[in-house]
Amino acid sequence: MNRVAVLAVVAVLAVVAVVAAVALRPAQSANLEARADALAAELRCPDCEGLSVADSPTAAAAEIRRQIEALLAAGATDDGVRAHFTARYGEWILLAPTSPLVWIVPFAVVAVGAAGLVVWVLGRRHAPAPEAAPLSEAERRRIHEEAEALDA
Amino acid sequence: MRTLRWLAIPILVVPLGWLLFTGFGRDPREVASPLIGQPAPAWELATLDGDTLSSEDLAGRPYLVNFWASWCIPSCVDEHPVLGSAWASQEGELMIVGVLYQDGADGARDFLARYGDAGYPHVLDPNGTLAVDFGVTGPPETFFVDADGIVRDRQVGPLTDALLAQRLAAVMPAAGLRR
Repeated sequence: MNRVAVLAVVAVLAVVAVVAAVALRPAQSANLEARADALAAELRCPDCEGLSVADSPTAAAAEIRRQIEALLAAGATDDGVRAHFTARYGEWILLAPTSPLVWIVPFAVVAVGAAGLVVWVLGRRHAPAPEAAPLSEAERRRIHEEAEALDA
Repeated sequence: MRTLRWLAIPILVVPLGWLLFTGFGRDPREVASPLIGQPAPAWELATLDGDTLSSEDLAGRPYLVNFWASWCIPSCVDEHPVLGSAWASQEGELMIVGVLYQDGADGARDFLARYGDAGYPHVLDPNGTLAVDFGVTGPPETFFVDADGIVRDRQVGPLTDALLAQRLAAVMPAAGLRR
């Protein structure tokens, strides 16, 4: 009796496993396709001007797309796929640069510039008005003469 | 303070001007190939003559892998005699392989009939797999592989006699003397 029960459980589990495998397969391939789409949008088409592999109809873009799909189907990670192409084309093949400096530096430059401007404006506002230089004896004499000439 | 303010203008403008001036003169495709110093990709492809040629057949000799196309005019036309004379003058010590980039056998045969066939083999790369393996961005592009199978240099754009002699020195130091 026990043996029959064990066999029944095993049979049910086997059926569940087969059904699950069949049901999950399209989901997995859809997932792979979505990953391939995302990676194709990240990679530069090598023989176009400023287009991604996803947006380009060239043969080179088609071959890269085929290689992305083959690599993903073979179990490669997204980073593994990126590494496959950067090993051939260099980082040039990635449309978005990987170095964080590229993203940080422009904001840092703007921030430093804005800070400099604020310091300069505040400095001007609080600075005492420049004192006039004392008149020389010659200037004093000339003013005196011209004032007298006006009065005359 | 006033001197500093006047200095600030050239300090900002000169590097920016230099960057723009030099940047516009550069070919954005001409980035250093990560393959340099690495083993050349392995391949086995059909030749225009219907035979099969592989990278293993070339082992032990320096070779050039020249990506070209019959539609690549005038660059590939200009470069064609340079490769032909290198093939003739190196007396079999240097191997040259033409790889058709996004081009078929018919176009290639017409090109060779018109501009001369030096006799080195040309292989077909119908899906462009080898072009992707070498990281090619467009024809003509030539890779210089030494006798140990290591990529030593790359030429983006057409080769001239002078450029070829210069780049060949990386894979066969005696080549410069023989030319």
